[in-house]
Amino acid sequence: MKFGIFFELSLLRPWDEEREHRLYHDALEQVRLADELGFDYVWAVEHHFLEEYSHCSAPDLFLTAAAVQTRRIRVGQGIAVCVPQINHPIRIAERAAVLDLLSHGRLDLGTGRSGTWTELGGFDADPDETKKTWDEFVRVIPRMWMQERFGHEGRSFRMPVRAVLPKPYQKPHPPLWVAVTSPGTEVDAAVRGLGALGLSTGSLQEYEGKIRTYKRLIRDCEPVGAFVNDQVATVNFLFCHEDEAEGVKVGQRITGTFNYLAAQLLSTREAFPTRSYPSLGLLPGPRAEAARRGEGGGPSDSITIGDPTRVTKVLERWESTGIDLVNFLVNAGETVPQEQVLASLRLFAREVMPRFRREAPSAAAGAR
Amino acid sequence: MPLFGTLDVKPRLVEAPLLERLESEPWELPGAEVLHLLHEIDDGAMLPLLPPALHPTIPPTCHVVVTHAPESPAGPFVLAQVRVGCRAGAFQRGLVTRAFCDSERAASELRRRFGFDAVRASVRLLSRYDRVEAEVTLAGRRILGCGLVDPLAIGADDVRYVDALNLARVVRDGEERARLVQLDAVYRISRADRGRPVIEALDAAAWRADGLVPRWAVSGSFCRADLTLPRPRYLVDPLRPALQGTERV
Repeated sequence: MKFGIFFELSLLRPWDEEREHRLYHDALEQVRLADELGFDYVWAVEHHFLEEYSHCSAPDLFLTAAAVQTRRIRVGQGIAVCVPQINHPIRIAERAAVLDLLSHGRLDLGTGRSGTWTELGGFDADPDETKKTWDEFVRVIPRMWMQERFGHEGRSFRMPVRAVLPKPYQKPHPPLWVAVTSPGTEVDAAVRGLGALGLSTGSLQEYEGKIRTYKRLIRDCEPVGAFVNDQVATVNFLFCHEDEAEGVKVGQRITGTFNYLAAQLLSTREAFPTRSYPSLGLLPGPRAEAARRGEGGGPSDSITIGDPTRVTKVLERWESTGIDLVNFLVNAGETVPQEQVLASLRLFAREVMPRFRREAPSAAAGAR
Repeated sequence: MPLFGTLDVKPRLVEAPLLERLESEPWELPGAEVLHLLHEIDDGAMLPLLPPALHPTIPPTCHVVVTHAPESPAGPFVLAQVRVGCRAGAFQRGLVTRAFCDSERAASELRRRFGFDAVRASVRLLSRYDRVEAEVTLAGRRILGCGLVDPLAIGADDVRYVDALNLARVVRDGEERARLVQLDAVYRISRADRGRPVIEALDAAAWRADGLVPRWAVSGSFCRADLTLPRPRYLVDPLRPALQGTERV
């Protein structure tokens, strides 16, 4: 099982340029440490207008900074919003290719369509259309990368033949993913040969069923790109501390803050009646799980907070579902001081990560 | 932390409904029609419209809800409400600023049982194949003119309503207290249409919503549904954050 860190870049009021500056640079310090510790991925979201919840509107820029400060960790754009009012597909292809070149071929490109009216309304986008435009974008972006010249007459855009430049460093192209929050999107992912990013609905038992479905369907898929990216990732919260009670307490501060901020936004489902948005917006699975109580009134047994023993047990349950990658939200609203976040990452890498890996832990995990 | 409302509720309480008991039987409203319009509003108005217990939605919103109930324990009625979109802690809610009802008897019962700040007015809801229209006239003055244009059928499951909060005086432990009365209406929708929402006229002052200006149309729906108005289950102290000030009845 692989591990990543996942950034929403949330920030409580009052925000100013100093706090936003620190938010970004604290995040980059976490990425550098994660790289040293042996984490496999860093992901950054694309969100717009989501006050406090996410100040991460230009993930490719953040990830470029992350890439040039690291050596090994893969950089994941999670996601590029495939809605023409927000991003033109040519611009997604161009900017992703630049990031892949600058990172020496470490880019994974996630795709998606935004889950909030706050965002779609802000760009005057039609929620009924976003599934369709996403489907069109994921089919043309790999061709823009692989064909020397490319032209298109489609539903949401048209272009005469041009050379979309530069081309990515990875050949034939970087791995492609799709964000999975709405029920059934795991099927969309599988039949297109896309990785399922953040499969985030339902209990562990429900996950097992969804992963089985994904793995079965992807065997016979028609990939939209040149290869199949057969991987399922989930998003979880991480706070790891030597003392279980302290780990749970601080971890619940992260989950509570995250849930509270997410709830303030206007999900598309709430604002705009449409079949296109059957679930309630941002990471509904982890939010529901974080709010759910486990046996004895403690945190849900699927949330990775506590001491190394508890975190390991939770991850063993996840591993049994067949999940390939767990991405962690390591802070929310900057409610946990940076030193504690870094200590949590180190402890996780030293005590937990090796139990899920064949190779030895990195030397950086021993540092305090 | 998210922003909190700044509304001074004291002046509102003078005319706010009084709930002496909370043991009201649920009301069944079979065969109801519900027009629901959602608009984004000026952000300058959002905080003064909400009490300190509540957060505004991001972006700030208002709901116009017009319900025609052909049957109810108080007889047939049409009820129009304006609600400000908000959050009670992490929960989606709409704060009712005021309501108007075409039946004196129904208005009185809706005030007494559920805390609606409802008074008698001429309230009309008319559905046609090309549009749905609603209008409220108070003392000869048109205070709401709105509707939905070009309705198209959508799935009944596609429509989602948020629960209402009514500012009222509630008798608790023998004392009258200011409370937001949560009303979790249950909708069993049999048919739903979506269309372009239109607000031609909205007299904000008449709706106790000074400064509320619908700026950006979001969505409109028109549904046929069997409704249940259950007895109030939660009360929120309007002056404390809902996370701390919510009480289960």
